[in-house]
Amino acid sequence: MGSDELDEFNIIVAGVGGQGILFTSRVITAAALEAGMRFVQSEVHGLAQRYGSIHTEIRLGRDVRSPLIMPGTLDLLIALEPIEGARFAGYMSGKTSAIVNTYMIPPISAFVEGRKIPELEEILEAIRSAGPGRLVPIPATELAAEAGDPVTTNVVVLGAAAAMGALPFDEGDVRAALGRVTPERYLEVNLRAFDLGRDFVLKGAGR
Amino acid sequence: MGLLSEPGKLEVLLGNEAIARGAIEAGLDVAAAYPGTPSTEIGEALSAAAREVGFHFEWAANEKVATEVAAAAAWSGLRSMAFMKHVGVNVAADAVFTLAYAGVVGGMVFVSADDPHAHSSQNEQDNRLLLRAINLPTVEPADPQEAKDFTRSAFDLSEEYGLPFALRTTTRVSHVRAPVVLGPIRERRGKGRFSPDPPRRYVQVGRLARAHHRELLEKLSRIREEVAEGGEFLRVEGQPGAELGIMTSGVSYNYVWEAVRRLGVEAQIMKLGMTNPLPEGRISDFLREVDTLLVVEELEPVLEADAARLAKEANPDLRIVGKFSGHLPRVGELDPVSVTAAVAEAAGVEFSPPSRGTGAGIDLPPRPPVMCPACPHRATGFALKRVAGRAAFMNDIGCYALLFQKPFELADVTHAMGSSVGFANGLSVATDRQVVALIGDSTFFHAGIPALINAIHHGRKFLLVVMDNRTTAMTGHQPHPGTDLDALGREAFPLDIERVVRGLGVENVWVVDPYDFEETQKAIKEAMGRDGVSVIISRRECALLTVGRLRREGKKIVPYRVDPDRCTHCLVCVKTYACPAFVDTGEKVRIDPAVCFGCGSCVDVCPFQAIVPQEGSLDWRRDGYGV
Repeated sequence: MGSDELDEFNIIVAGVGGQGILFTSRVITAAALEAGMRFVQSEVHGLAQRYGSIHTEIRLGRDVRSPLIMPGTLDLLIALEPIEGARFAGYMSGKTSAIVNTYMIPPISAFVEGRKIPELEEILEAIRSAGPGRLVPIPATELAAEAGDPVTTNVVVLGAAAAMGALPFDEGDVRAALGRVTPERYLEVNLRAFDLGRDFVLKGAGR
Repeated sequence: MGLLSEPGKLEVLLGNEAIARGAIEAGLDVAAAYPGTPSTEIGEALSAAAREVGFHFEWAANEKVATEVAAAAAWSGLRSMAFMKHVGVNVAADAVFTLAYAGVVGGMVFVSADDPHAHSSQNEQDNRLLLRAINLPTVEPADPQEAKDFTRSAFDLSEEYGLPFALRTTTRVSHVRAPVVLGPIRERRGKGRFSPDPPRRYVQVGRLARAHHRELLEKLSRIREEVAEGGEFLRVEGQPGAELGIMTSGVSYNYVWEAVRRLGVEAQIMKLGMTNPLPEGRISDFLREVDTLLVVEELEPVLEADAARLAKEANPDLRIVGKFSGHLPRVGELDPVSVTAAVAEAAGVEFSPPSRGTGAGIDLPPRPPVMCPACPHRATGFALKRVAGRAAFMNDIGCYALLFQKPFELADVTHAMGSSVGFANGLSVATDRQVVALIGDSTFFHAGIPALINAIHHGRKFLLVVMDNRTTAMTGHQPHPGTDLDALGREAFPLDIERVVRGLGVENVWVVDPYDFEETQKAIKEAMGRDGVSVIISRRECALLTVGRLRREGKKIVPYRVDPDRCTHCLVCVKTYACPAFVDTGEKVRIDPAVCFGCGSCVDVCPFQAIVPQEGSLDWRRDGYGV
């Protein structure tokens, strides 16, 4: 798909600092670059990265200028952690696909302050009730462990998103971009993680 | 690698990387900086490229020194750059105000990276006002491509007019990534030659300063006529003849462009790439053409005040919409919602902003940044809280500022680089309260030393804890005067903080490993009992460096675990140590193996010895890692 065909496609990658949010975003923009698509991506650096809420906003297409997304116009939510995904419920509409890792990382500050942490089901329900066209919960951290390293959680989710057809690229193009962006020594485990995410969707487990 | 790819190539660059590329394209010879968000990645990019290209780059002790390094290079006919975050300009101000009088020979670019919204900062100051007070010509890119192109042009113009040019960004330019078309790389000059012409060109005393001030204003007036009015940085677009005019600059332009499109309104847009000096003639022409003017800019109503001033002459009936009228905020950054709402208001059309927040009525726990697992600052904070918890805590700028949070609450004040020591001076004069000042190693070298000298000289009584983690951690591990490598990975002389404080005359000095709870608490107790200034150097390298080293050495990171038979769910670990690896399941505490770094520092926190190693777990203190 070339840049002429797409006006605007908005993606949020959300999670906890350290989960590989920037890497995931880099794979997506590498695929966009290869496809000759215009894009702009907003990211977070500095103190904000220290185990806090982190997200990137990626906007693909001919008509994008603003580095930030207008709420209500999100096409794809990639949530590497469910609480972090739910924070963007207000960005969704019927056209949104949401893929949400079900592995919860409760913030330590909530335990220190004795705050109640919602159950996974409550969080998924909150996202569902915001009305995304598709919601796919995925046990990505478990699948990543199966691939050989829980650190590849982000790649599992990306593989699932690609297989859902939730990105404006073919699954093979995303996998190729992953190969270009990954350092050699992690290539094998990353491709395995990507395929486990893809297979999870293809088997229909998320429907 | 992308940054040094050949001309004509399309590379994905962060705004800050694009600034680095622009400088390299302009033939950069010397660059210096002190790290600070959102400017740091300019330096990371230059560090990576310096050896291959052959220019000099250094992380200087602070922003003032960085500016002086770059200025002296520009006086010697080289092309130079100094860059810093917005509050860094306050530190550099003493040098750069007068540098504008002195002028330069080689092109010099002075970068101010502002942080509207205070994403990673202590304030939201708008340096456009400061740069105007300094009288530096200022360009403001809107995206990474412009960041590169404007940087390159600024070097040429600086050299042409003999005046440093400022490049001002905001977070959503510095930290935005997009494809950038690269340009050719100009040849460097290498070594410079310092021969002031006339000989007292750089001497600023009364009569000479006044003469140079006059010259500066003349240069600015020429730049206004020849550059600003000439339109190199100016763009007017949209619907010719439309009654609504929108004036904007920087990232705000992008929000405006989409808002006009989304709402389908007719508007003329004036995008200002140079905001000092302003093309006042061109702006006046624009104001005459429209009935309503919307001014969209982040933070202070700077351009709006100019527009109001120029409209008195050019179009007295003009309706101006912006910050003075209350349609745009002075606090925080702009975004698509606030800008679209303002455009709709100015155009007289409807726009109902979509809802924000979760929109699903669920109470989500916030997730503020916290100290990393294994962070030595947590251990120092744990000891301080136990034995000095009632003192007044003057905290400073660095990761340890996170000790302001529960359960530590070791910050009555966080303010500016080095301020902890300055305020400790003042409190020890003004009150009888016990005072503890906390400062990091990089911050100590940056601005802590003069305040410590003041305290020693005046016989002040307080405890200074230097939390020495052997790096500038918060901005991503840059070297500083205490590290043994410089920005280019070359050997550098590491200043020893203990020798520095002893050399200044402090007699009560302790050096501790914060993982040794007993030794650290003992030192704090002793120090609090002494007269005069006491210094504890709490030394252990940043845990992220230790983990990186372990991984490189092929050592496995084996997490610790909680023995459920021993865990009584007393929550002492959670409520006093608060490592992000702890999970309260409601019945027991669990250690998340995906988060734990396996340092073993928390073992002694548990009163029931329930935190235990697993097969292969290291004990960083016992095994000598991180010290």
